[in-house]
Amino acid sequence: MEFIVYWLSATPSYAAPLLLAALGLIINERSGVLNLGAEGMMACGALAGALVSLAYSSPLLGIVAAAMAGASLAVVFGGLTVVLRCDQVVSGLILVALGAGITGLLGRNIVGQTLPGFREVDLGVISDLPVVGPLIFSQNTLTYFSFLFAAVAWWWMYRSVGGLRLRAVGESPSTADANGINVITTRFLAVVVGGGFCGLAGGYLALASSFVWVEGMIAGRGWIAIGLVIFARWNPRHAILGALLFGAVEALIPRVQATGVDVPIYLMMMLPYLTTLGVLVVASKLDEKRSREPASLGMPYARQDRH
Amino acid sequence: MSSPFELMPRQYSPFWLRALCLISGIAIGLALATVLLMFNGVDFKGIVREFVLYSFVSSRGLAQTISTGTPLLLVGLASAIVLKLRFWNIGIDGQAWLGAIAASGIAIYEVGDPSFRLLIMACAAIIAGAVWVGIPVFFKMRLGVNEVISTLMLTYVAFLAAQHLLYGDWRDPSTSWPVSVTFDENSERLQRIGFGHVHDGVWIALGSALFVSYLMLGHRFGLFLSAIGLSPKGSKASGLPVPVVVILTVLIGGGLCGLAGFVIVAGQEYRLTQYVIHDLTFSAILIAFLARFNPIAVVPVSFLVAGMFTAGETLKAFYQLPLSLILVVQAVILGSVISVEFFSAYRVRINGFGLSNRQIDEEQSQQL
Repeated sequence: MEFIVYWLSATPSYAAPLLLAALGLIINERSGVLNLGAEGMMACGALAGALVSLAYSSPLLGIVAAAMAGASLAVVFGGLTVVLRCDQVVSGLILVALGAGITGLLGRNIVGQTLPGFREVDLGVISDLPVVGPLIFSQNTLTYFSFLFAAVAWWWMYRSVGGLRLRAVGESPSTADANGINVITTRFLAVVVGGGFCGLAGGYLALASSFVWVEGMIAGRGWIAIGLVIFARWNPRHAILGALLFGAVEALIPRVQATGVDVPIYLMMMLPYLTTLGVLVVASKLDEKRSREPASLGMPYARQDRH
Repeated sequence: MSSPFELMPRQYSPFWLRALCLISGIAIGLALATVLLMFNGVDFKGIVREFVLYSFVSSRGLAQTISTGTPLLLVGLASAIVLKLRFWNIGIDGQAWLGAIAASGIAIYEVGDPSFRLLIMACAAIIAGAVWVGIPVFFKMRLGVNEVISTLMLTYVAFLAAQHLLYGDWRDPSTSWPVSVTFDENSERLQRIGFGHVHDGVWIALGSALFVSYLMLGHRFGLFLSAIGLSPKGSKASGLPVPVVVILTVLIGGGLCGLAGFVIVAGQEYRLTQYVIHDLTFSAILIAFLARFNPIAVVPVSFLVAGMFTAGETLKAFYQLPLSLILVVQAVILGSVISVEFFSAYRVRINGFGLSNRQIDEEQSQQL
């Protein structure tokens, strides 16, 4: 029982970065642009967050910088895919390579330094409550914001005109265009905002979970987030559940290690990746009849292309 | 139209235009990369010295380039054939890891007669690579699971499997590092051919290039492949064996990646370490794109890309620049190549300049 509370209380902080990245990707992909570059944008976000929060000793400035770093890499991606109509898969892979390369180049000097970051809140009596105290009332502030963002994103996407327009562009850009929605602008904005969220996710990893920066610290979480988006059927509400599931799997590893039980650690570290694979298989089994994928996902749009 | 630019899709883009776009894309990419390197404190003379003279002219650098290029040629071929099908295998590193693990396993447990040991290692590596890509292709064909994520997830699994072995049963008890025992000098290593570090693996890679080129350009298999890549539905409707061709191609690709893993452990490292496989996937995709998915062109292109790594190693030694710089250079070059393609797909007209739509219409009607 004690182990379970211990494990579950660690889950939200592992879920939050995945949720942030997944939210960004949902916004991005709902506009019809497939962005595989999450890993690269998260890498840049993590480094920018680390550099700025070290330089100004301010985690808040750091997290803002992280979002901006993700968004600026997304501008490059938007330029390639939305403006120049390049292949979205290749452009995404370029983003991953750019992110990994740039961070390796610029982060050499801060490897291993402890970063000022976001610590867990202490709400006094409430935080000391059994079970719910550690589970809900002792997380760091960024975690609360992540879940809040998910709720807001869901509301915006399904209950506002802006969200309707975004979804229309992703489902049928030519119809949206005929209705006076600027497809190119919408897609570009969606890509940039999505990149901002991915950068935020990277910043979270540096400033709220590890408190140090090392090369390759994203460790495939960007790709896991892409799998999570498919699992969540491009819906922010489902993404919360999905992120908690993936977070729980990831949180299990250090928790089991901490108990001192002799388990093969590298085999355990495979769990998040195998879970992602398993979840994709299950999701495709369930969705065999009707996929919820935005209908024009991955297809560039140019009004002139219609013959 | 209020927009200052107008785009017109080209129905047909002539060969010279596509060639011009590819060349200018590479040129712009190289120029950007040069600027990037100069920002990092490498002067222009240094760039020419490292990237051109050392990597391709000096015999030491050339040998290094050829030996780096050997596995790159194998993964470049693998990438070129599957990308022709629009199958995104981005788990090339993972398949190479599995190949390296399988080959090392055969060497460590001394399976089979020593005179056939290398052959067994190579076959095990090919099978391991093919199996590792077989899982994603099975999921894709049966359930429609996106291969991008499944191949990548299996890369992490393969890497962790290698870690598990290196920190466990396969660790060389005589060192404190997570490395396996070294392979036997006579029966488990690819022999040097007498030019620097270049080893017999280079013949394996060139032989594979010959085989793939024949398959793609001299056999109807290649024709099926191109047809399926252009339109899977159309190919199916015209009676081509689509699933067989797809599965076979992807498995051949995985086998080539496994073979690349074998070439690295048996020809360069002589044992399994944590770092034997790195940066293969993106290099392979870059090679495939620059070679326009043509297996013959993959040979010189992978040689050129290998030169970048040779230069990267010297930049690391003399300028203290990390190897990740090479990754940025590669990304910049690929990015500029695919962006310039835009101009072969569209005609850009600036309003107020050049011909208007009507004039073009008139011109075309005169030609008819």
